[in-house]
Amino acid sequence: MRLSKCLNNYYRQLIISLCLLSVIPLSSNVFANEASIEAKSTSRAWHNVEKRGTKQNVYFHAWGGDQQINNYIQWVADQVKQKYAINLHHVKLTDTSEAVSRVLAEKAADNHRNGQVDLVWINGANFASMAKYQLLAADWAGELPNFELTNPTNNPAMTRDFGVPTQGMEAPWGQAALTFYFDSLKVNDVPQTLPELLTWSENHPGHFTYPKPPDFLGMSFLKYALIILNEQQPANIKEKLYQDATVESQAQLLPSLWQFLDKLHPTLWRQGKHFVSNGLALRRLMGDTELQVSFTFSAAEIPSAISRYDLPDSTRSYRMKDGSLSNIHFVAIPYNSPHIEGAKLVANFLLSPEAQSRKQKTAVWGDSSVLDLSQLTATQKTLFAAPKKQHLSANIINIDNTRLLGELHPSWVKVITEQWLTRYGVQ
Amino acid sequence: MIVANTLFTRVVRNSPYLLIALLVVPVLGGLLGVLLPAFGWFPALGAHEFGLFGFVQLFQTPGIERMVLLSFGTSLASTLLAFIITILILASYFNSPWLKRIQRLLGPILVIPHAAAAIAIGFLITPSGFLSRLVSPWLTGWDTPPDWLLPHDPYGLSIIFGLTLKELPFLLLIALGVLAQPEIGKTLRAQHKVASSLGYCPMTGFFKVILPSLYGYMRLPLLAVLAYSSASVEIPLILGPNTPPTLAVAIMQWFNDVDLSLRIKASSGAILQIVITLSLLGSWWLLELFVKQCSAAFLINGEREYGGMLIKRLTDMITIAMLTVIGLALVAMVLWSFAGFWSYPDILPQQLVSLHWTSALLQMQTPLFNTLVIAISTTLIAIALTLLVLEAEQQNTKTISAISGFIIYLPLLIPSIAFLFGIVWLFEQVNSQHAYVNVVFSHLLFVLPYVFLSLANSYRRLDPRFSSVAASLGVPPSKIFWQLKLPLLISPILIASALGLAISFSQYLPTLLSGAGRINTITTEAVTLANGASRRTSAVYALMQMLLPALFFILAWAVPKFFFRKRG
Repeated sequence: MRLSKCLNNYYRQLIISLCLLSVIPLSSNVFANEASIEAKSTSRAWHNVEKRGTKQNVYFHAWGGDQQINNYIQWVADQVKQKYAINLHHVKLTDTSEAVSRVLAEKAADNHRNGQVDLVWINGANFASMAKYQLLAADWAGELPNFELTNPTNNPAMTRDFGVPTQGMEAPWGQAALTFYFDSLKVNDVPQTLPELLTWSENHPGHFTYPKPPDFLGMSFLKYALIILNEQQPANIKEKLYQDATVESQAQLLPSLWQFLDKLHPTLWRQGKHFVSNGLALRRLMGDTELQVSFTFSAAEIPSAISRYDLPDSTRSYRMKDGSLSNIHFVAIPYNSPHIEGAKLVANFLLSPEAQSRKQKTAVWGDSSVLDLSQLTATQKTLFAAPKKQHLSANIINIDNTRLLGELHPSWVKVITEQWLTRYGVQ
Repeated sequence: MIVANTLFTRVVRNSPYLLIALLVVPVLGGLLGVLLPAFGWFPALGAHEFGLFGFVQLFQTPGIERMVLLSFGTSLASTLLAFIITILILASYFNSPWLKRIQRLLGPILVIPHAAAAIAIGFLITPSGFLSRLVSPWLTGWDTPPDWLLPHDPYGLSIIFGLTLKELPFLLLIALGVLAQPEIGKTLRAQHKVASSLGYCPMTGFFKVILPSLYGYMRLPLLAVLAYSSASVEIPLILGPNTPPTLAVAIMQWFNDVDLSLRIKASSGAILQIVITLSLLGSWWLLELFVKQCSAAFLINGEREYGGMLIKRLTDMITIAMLTVIGLALVAMVLWSFAGFWSYPDILPQQLVSLHWTSALLQMQTPLFNTLVIAISTTLIAIALTLLVLEAEQQNTKTISAISGFIIYLPLLIPSIAFLFGIVWLFEQVNSQHAYVNVVFSHLLFVLPYVFLSLANSYRRLDPRFSSVAASLGVPPSKIFWQLKLPLLISPILIASALGLAISFSQYLPTLLSGAGRINTITTEAVTLANGASRRTSAVYALMQMLLPALFFILAWAVPKFFFRKRG
């Protein structure tokens, strides 16, 4: 039993590293090493940050659509107020791109010093976009003392955002994996692989859907499907998913996705003629019992939604057997933030064992920690122990025997969105 | 009238210029901020060359013609429908006590923010909504929600339904406001009586005698409704389709897209939106001409009766259906806000809990505070400025020029989505960092016209002999203003204030954009939550959005009663 678990873990690690290795430019590994050396030698510099950062106002632009997350950020605000007298203001976004737009508008107006965004919760395409237009402060993540606890030297995922090297522009905050859930009273034959999902939806038409791209969750479902559908391809073609999308690689990889969707769409909710605009709407439709199987990136929202009556008590969550898309989310500091030191202090606090362990608790948020437990002291490790009593839906079925699928190169998002809209956007 | 040259009169005399500047500068500046990128000039993205590639991109968007058609169709259909129902209600209940009752029942809808109305209608018509629960499973046999296409239907029927319900009370109120003006109302009623005595059926009399005169007064508000609905965002966002959405919603999504180069396409889209709105106004004008041509003969053909009873029955039915829908939507929303788990097709939730209210009220404190601070400051400025401008009118003994009169409506006639993004850019240019000030400033654009509209009639109607007598007794203009006119006008001022507050409460895009997202109000939270996961929390916020303006209207109505009773 233990051996099989070890093997599973080993397998999982191997898959992740393989996915990642294929894309990492050498420089980012070097960077990670440099970062660790730098972090040790710059404790004096950090002292200065602490001195200047106290009592600053930090405007943290973060998606505000989930009450649990908002409450957690409020807790962070209370903590940094106590520790550094920082006033952390949570600016609740409906979409992270609003913050991107804001910084861009400021740059357009030559406001290079007095930006309104001090810290932003970000990853993937938003990050790639901000990095491309040089809207972020660079080379600061390595300065954070707690960054070391993520073990960046041996964990390259901490310095890469969807395959793009972060170059110290972002500090990791948490990680998530695609989790499915269903109403156990209504669904007897739970689909546990992508092909099973298609068969299930054909047998139960109108009870599954996914959000319209470019929504993050909808895009994640499409990426999951794209990876699985191309698994039989030779390795040299498969790995192109983790590289810049070219005309050639699109022609090799995308057709299988469109064929699959052509079959799936007529069986979806509203016959695939209307798609919800965002991921949260899926949970509402599950609560309305219009859907019977759905999915999310934050598995912890399920037990908490049950406790607020938004989902039936019989809801259970699981991971697909053929793989679960997983990614890391980060915080970044815009280049024109007037409170950069305060923002760094907050980013560092977000990485502390105290903050990370609290965030991981299902009752708080349930977002997986990015810390490497081997880097922590024994007392710090105890913070991460699982609570004894929780709702059945908090036990994710298959969590130990699914492999995690790495994120695609961000260029695929635009490609998939555009072609999806051309094919299915007008009905 | 010769007026003394005091500080008060100088302030009064210059106030119209301030009003015009406050409305024109941001709108034109905002338009400029959209026009430049629309034609390819966007330095921040490295775009320095003027060109039409934004428009090329725009017209290559899949489904663009459907977006345009949807914007055009929903707006025209809903305005026409709302206008026709307004006229039917007026014609059927003219001279009947029911007119006042219907007005009282529909009036509150006027102050319900669009987002809240859309949420409420959504709760009613979704497959698992209240209507479907009422008839299931006993009638339909459904034990899981049916897979029908409302809301979000591709034809925009849900949008039309939502917009009509929101526009109708506004038009009705405008029409009743016109009829309440002593000169016009009296003349029209007298003419109607003459028509009746000549044997015209009251319905025919209304269409032949009153409508032609009444319409002239309703034209501008009608055009404003038409323009607003062609570019509104909240209702199409919550009730409309998204394969593809209406143009305004698409523009908003492009502006907010991760891919920053879409900004140029979005700006081009904003220009297209203006073209659509203008062509809608043009179509309305053509429609007017056409109806005028066709009805010329009808007006003087001497026919007394056109099945008036039938039309009245129809109107009764429409009115009852509408009031039922509104009532059911409210009941559904209140139920959701207290609901424990509520499985389909139960008519009532399995248990009622106060959890959603208690947790929402805890989280609501900051947004509530922001909402009130912004609304009160905006309304105070708007009321003060409106009173000064109206006073200037009286001192100059003429109403403000036609151009100025038109400019007041400018922010209502130009699609806000077209100039608001430019305004954010404008704030950046003047480096205005005060989010509260920026938000108040942009709310003012929408609050001012309504406050002016609501106050102008009462102020102009005030008998000029009061001030003449006072002035002849040597009372200075400032004293006449403070001690004579304001106390006489206390009731309309309070109503206008309540209206101003309500308009400010309901603003979504202006708050979001000029507040840099730093300022959360009840409305921004409600729209965020409407697309979110919990019907229950969403219901609490939507109800809160309705309760706030209602509270202030009740105050505006009750305070003068209390005030005057004490005096009397």
